[in-house]
Parts: sequence; C-alpha cells; structure tokens
Amino acid sequence: MDDVEKRVVDLIAEVLVDVNKEHIQLDSKIVEDLGAESLDIYDMIALLEDEFGLEITDEEVEKIQTVQDVANYIRSAQSAAS
Amino acid sequence: MQRKVVVTGMGVVTCLGSGVATNWEALMAGRSGIGPITLFDAAKYKSRIAGEVRGNFDPHGYVQPKEFRRMDRFQQFAMVAAGEAVDDSKLELPPTNPFRGGVVVGSGMGGLSSIEEGMHLLLSKGPNSAPPLLITKVVINLSPGMLSIKYGLKGPNYGVVNACTSGTSAIGEAFRIIRESRADFMIAGGAEAVVTELSVAAFSKIRALSTRNDDPERASRPFDRNRDGFVISEGAGMLILESEEHAAERGALIHCEILGYGATDDAFHIVMPDETGSGAYEAMRLALEDAGVKPEQVDHVNAHGTSTDLNDKMETIAIKKLFGEHAYRLAISSTKSMTGHLIGAAGAVEAVYTIMALKKGMVPPTINLEEPDPDCDLDYTPNTPVSREMEYALSNSFAFGGQNGCLLFRRV
Repeated sequence: MDDVEKRVVDLIAEVLVDVNKEHIQLDSKIVEDLGAESLDIYDMIALLEDEFGLEITDEEVEKIQTVQDVANYIRSAQSAAS
Repeated sequence: MQRKVVVTGMGVVTCLGSGVATNWEALMAGRSGIGPITLFDAAKYKSRIAGEVRGNFDPHGYVQPKEFRRMDRFQQFAMVAAGEAVDDSKLELPPTNPFRGGVVVGSGMGGLSSIEEGMHLLLSKGPNSAPPLLITKVVINLSPGMLSIKYGLKGPNYGVVNACTSGTSAIGEAFRIIRESRADFMIAGGAEAVVTELSVAAFSKIRALSTRNDDPERASRPFDRNRDGFVISEGAGMLILESEEHAAERGALIHCEILGYGATDDAFHIVMPDETGSGAYEAMRLALEDAGVKPEQVDHVNAHGTSTDLNDKMETIAIKKLFGEHAYRLAISSTKSMTGHLIGAAGAVEAVYTIMALKKGMVPPTINLEEPDPDCDLDYTPNTPVSREMEYALSNSFAFGGQNGCLLFRRV
C-alpha cells in the first residue's frame, strides 16, 4: 500500500472502530464487506475531506465502492489540483 | 386503584467515581470530588474548578467503541449509568413485550460541548467542516433514543429539559407513566456534561459559580456563611422504576418505593428563586399529598442545597414553612457539598443517594459546613454522616426558570 492508501485505511478504521483493521483491504467493499451504513459514510467523507483538504461531491460518493476507489479518487483529485 | 411504583435498579457516574458503591463510600467518607478543571485550559477563567468525571469512567463495558464515538459526553454518561442500573435490576432485556418498557432522560443543556467544538470548526474552516455526527450528539432526546435501541424498549420515550430539575422531573414523569399503567418499567434519570468553556464562562458572568479556586475541595459549601456559588459538575444518575407487580412477578430485589412527586414553578424570575420559597414549598407539599404522607413522617431531605446565597436561604424557608417545628428534627443533607452541581443530572444522582440513605440508615453529611449561615439554622448533617433509622425521604431540585421538583421515597 502506498501512503495515500495507508491514510485512507487509517481513516476508515477510525470510523469503523469495531472492524478489525487487518480486514480492511484495498479491494474491500466499504458497505457490503465492512458493514458501513449511511452515518458512517458521512463520517468518513468528513474525515477524508479534512485529511486531504478536498471536497468529495455526492456524485463521486455514488461511484465509490471499495477502499481502492477512495484512494484512486483522492489521487486524481490531488493531481487535478496541482 | 393506583399501581405502586418501586425502584429495582440504580446507576451513577460522578466526580466521586463510577458506580453506586464507589459513590456511597465517598459520601460516607465525606470526600469531595471537586478539583481543578482539566477538560480545557481554564487559566483565564474566573472559576477554574469543577467536579469532572475522571479516568475511573470506563464506558466500554456498556458502550461499543463505534457507538461511543457517535455520542456526546452526556450521552456516554447516560449509557454507563443506565447500564449499571439495568445490570443491578437483573431485568431481561429486550423484554417480552417491548411496548411496556420505556425511557425518560433529563438533561439541562445536552450536547453543548459538541456545539462548541462544531462551531469552532465551522468558524475556522468553513461550513463544509461541520461534523456529520453533531446533530445526534446535541439533541437531548437522542439519549433516551440510544437507550431504547440498546435495550429494545419501544414504550414511552422522551427527553425532559428542566435545567437543574431535569433529573428529578424525568424520574417523576416515569413514576407517573408506570402508576397510570402506560408502561410496566422505565429507565429514568438525568445526564449532563457541561464543564465546557462557554458554559463555565457564561455561568461566571451571572456570578453563579464559586471562585474558591485555590481550595477546590472546600468550594462547595451549602448552608455555610462563606459560600460563594455552586461548583459545576458532570455525570449521570439512572434508576429502573417498575410497577410493584412486575417486580414481584420476576422476583426482583426492591431498593425502595417511590410514593409521590410534586412539580411547580415559581413564576418569578428567570434565574433567581422566589425568596419566599412558595414554589419549592408547594412542590414538597404536593409530593407528600400525592402519597398521603404527613410532614411529621418525613425523616430525611436530600436538599437542592447548591451553595448559592439565594438557593440555600430560600430552601430553608420553604422547608420550615412546610414542616414547622418538625423541620428541626429532619436530617437534611446537601450531597452537592461533595459532588458539586450536576445541573440536569443532579436530581437523578441525588435520588440514588436518597435511596441509599434509606437503605443503609445513614444520612450523608453536608461537608464544608464550618460556620452556619444564621439564616440557615436547620440540621444539615454537618461534616460527618449520621446513623438514623428512616422510613420516608424527600429529594428536592429547583431550576433556573423556576421549575421545582420533589420526589418522595419510602424504605421497604
């Protein structure tokens, strides 16, 4: 895992405290595999936005399924900004 | 015929510790739980002392880490105190008929600390930084809502907002719900966590808080001539109330009976009590009338006794007006001398202490009562606990807003 991916996993683990962090893999589906529900998703978005200094639109959230999707989105948003 | 209502479970979290046994031990030792504020940097504040719930508060026995993260501190206290009360009652939850069990929780100011944190983020980083979990942390009725989810209780459920009377009002409401057969058992109490920057600063602006900062353990001194305001505290108290037949059916251990509840308002001033004590008098009188108990039968009063100039005088006047000569034979305590003032949780925590006093036949002391105020000349059980067989006891709460609440308990 690269740096962005590690930070994403850390933040997801912070929200889903009752999920063993080792179970959070890049291909884990956030809702289906990790059991996140709507409040968890909003909580994660807020933490990710704060950590990476960006805004994640609801349209983007719709497209995101896995941990890898989150990391990919952040990297693309970062390169678009720089 | 009205149903009898009994208490079958108790739980507390205060600056004296977590758990009824720990709290009782501290009360009997006359130990103060007040210390310097550590929850924020209080160096610039006029009042720098509080009754904080410290490291001995372990929520994870009762609240899962994920739920804990989603809760304001007042909700965490409520969950832990309720958890202890439920365990103590040995109720099997969720109940067979979920609609016959309910929850009423009182709180004065709810998730104020979450509001302060959220506003700080909003002002420093803009609207997109508003915490997504803020709403559920702020709202007072989310506390009984969270308890309903945890224990599967679908009966009457609401929050009570009555400032410093909230905890007493919540227990009074739950008592009536059971008496009127709208539920068979209720979780009821109060929770508060407002040792926060804004709250301490604002209470100081109306000269409500003690500034005895260099001597925290002696700062809360109800009925003493040198009292200079209340000491702000946090925590929660919870009771399990049950109809007598429901408790008997399952062979529950009964701590005491709740016999009466009186509630009035001063209709006088937004923060000052009516100095004639007429509202407080009437609340106590109604609690006795509710149960058909005569003033002379009462042994013990857990006073509101905040350590403010106005409250302690007014309460003394109200007690004398109701009890006449018998007022001098009452064993009165202000346990706030040890816990400080838990605002919306105060009445619930003090209900637990009152019940313990009846059970143990011991009157908790009013500590720091060194030089009695000449206007406060009753027996407030100064400084050391007193052994006394008691049958009937009152617990008083009075609020900013003028709300007065009084509960009457009987030993079983």
